[in-house]
Amino acid sequence: MMETLLCASGLGFRFRPGAPPLFDEVDLALQPGQVTAIIGPSGSGKTTLCHCLSGIIPLLRGGETWGSVTIKGKPVDQMRIPEIARNLGMVSQDPEAGLFFPVVEDEVAFGPENLCLEPPVIRARIDEALGNVGITDLRLRNPHRLSGGEKQLVATASVLSLHPEILILDEALSQLDGRGRWMMERLILRLRATGKAILMVTHDPNHLDVADHTFILSNGRLSPFHGDWAAFPAGPEGAC
Amino acid sequence: MIPNDSATLQHFDPRAKLILVLSISSLAVAFNHPIVLLPLSAVTFLAARFFGVQILRAMSSIRRLLWVFVAMGMIQSVFTPGGEAVLAVGGISLVSTVGLVRGVSIILRIVVIVVSAAIMTTANPRDIVQGLSQWRIPYEITFMVAVVLRFLPLMREEAEDTLTALQLRGVRLETLPLRTKIRIYRHLLYPLIANVLSRAEKMSISVEMRGFRAYPQRTSHRNLVFSPRDYGVIATSILIVMGVLLPYYWNWLPTS
Ligand SMILES: Nc1ncnc2c1ncn2[C@@H]1O[C@H](COP(=O)(O)OP(=O)(O)OP(=O)(O)O)[C@@H](O)[C@H]1O
Ligand SMILES: [Mg+2]
Repeated sequence: MMETLLCASGLGFRFRPGAPPLFDEVDLALQPGQVTAIIGPSGSGKTTLCHCLSGIIPLLRGGETWGSVTIKGKPVDQMRIPEIARNLGMVSQDPEAGLFFPVVEDEVAFGPENLCLEPPVIRARIDEALGNVGITDLRLRNPHRLSGGEKQLVATASVLSLHPEILILDEALSQLDGRGRWMMERLILRLRATGKAILMVTHDPNHLDVADHTFILSNGRLSPFHGDWAAFPAGPEGAC
Repeated sequence: MIPNDSATLQHFDPRAKLILVLSISSLAVAFNHPIVLLPLSAVTFLAARFFGVQILRAMSSIRRLLWVFVAMGMIQSVFTPGGEAVLAVGGISLVSTVGLVRGVSIILRIVVIVVSAAIMTTANPRDIVQGLSQWRIPYEITFMVAVVLRFLPLMREEAEDTLTALQLRGVRLETLPLRTKIRIYRHLLYPLIANVLSRAEKMSISVEMRGFRAYPQRTSHRNLVFSPRDYGVIATSILIVMGVLLPYYWNWLPTS
């Protein structure tokens, strides 16, 4: 079996000491070439879990965690954020908040520039990332004047250009139209074929088609999900 | 402040604009006589027109402050004795020539600084950052400049949104007494700051997770080069500075 890229075991979290835990005893392993999906009702802690898995908690944000998270065998709390960034990319739920530059291509170039890649390599990465999510024509536009779905695609491209081995998509498909979803699903399958480990948080049962494993986060526990929507706390509609 | 997608005037190198703006505003700070400030403001207005600054909008952004300076100028002209009386009541000189000159200088100075600074707002923020880093200014500093350029319009948007929300609820701020107004503004400030802080946090997470500060250097996919027109702007700046400094060294300027 191939090396596990990201592994969480006995992971728990609470916002402040003494508060009830948001989730506990979470075990999760992301393997290369596999797509893992997490579903769960609003407020169940999916975004917070993504933050714990990517080291944002505890490295950048507060809160109390226990258990362990390792990236390529190394505990995240002993890593520095730039080191994590070379292995793991995360598209956040609120793409607008993460967009910084007034031109799309600069946004996409930002990561590779931080990694000190040569300018021709960076330009190739911009072309590739924009092409992968199907927004080559938006290259010179101002991200802040794009639609919600287009912003999600820009945010995704700006993470893809780093070529992360682990990709976390926190509802990155939620505002896309049919074509956008289709592009993204094809992209996810292509990335899976190249051996990336992908974690996607979703509210949409249709996205589960591309997932190899699906888990449900609810009542503070992460458990395998077998398409049993009746067991879903608020039913499939309530989830959307 | 987010640049237009189409403006051709952005094709000036922001560093050239910066040189021009710095030349003009340091002259305005160093010389406080209308004999310098009057032609300097004429030049500034010309330059601002050339770069497509909306001068009225730039002035209106400091509208309230402007009154303070006009008042300061008036007070200066009333209380500074010396010279001949311009306006006298019953033999007591109210406004003297020296005072008038001082008052006019103060106003001109502010106008020159504000209008010339507005020229920088016509530069594309990413070019400003790029230009500064090509001047070997550490990227952490240039990035701070970029953050400010990014967040200033954001704060204005947030403030406008909150004000609109108030107006939609039928609150008419203009008609309220000053004390109530101040109280409302204070209440607006908290959500405003909270919003901006939360956006700043999300922004910094996104930036850090894309490897910011991974190395002491960064590369860039773009490269700015000065074009002949940029050299034209720089030459103009030198001419302006010379046009003031030479007469000064030749003692042609009145000392004030
Ligand atoms: N700083 C904080 N302090 C206390 N509670 C918080 C804080 N941030 C978020 N929460 C709470 O934690 C819970 C989980 O939030 P989270 O964003 O992880 O949920 P989610 O599963 O991603 O929801 P959604 O499906 O709406 O994205 C929510 O009930 C939220 O109110
Ligand atoms: Mg969420």
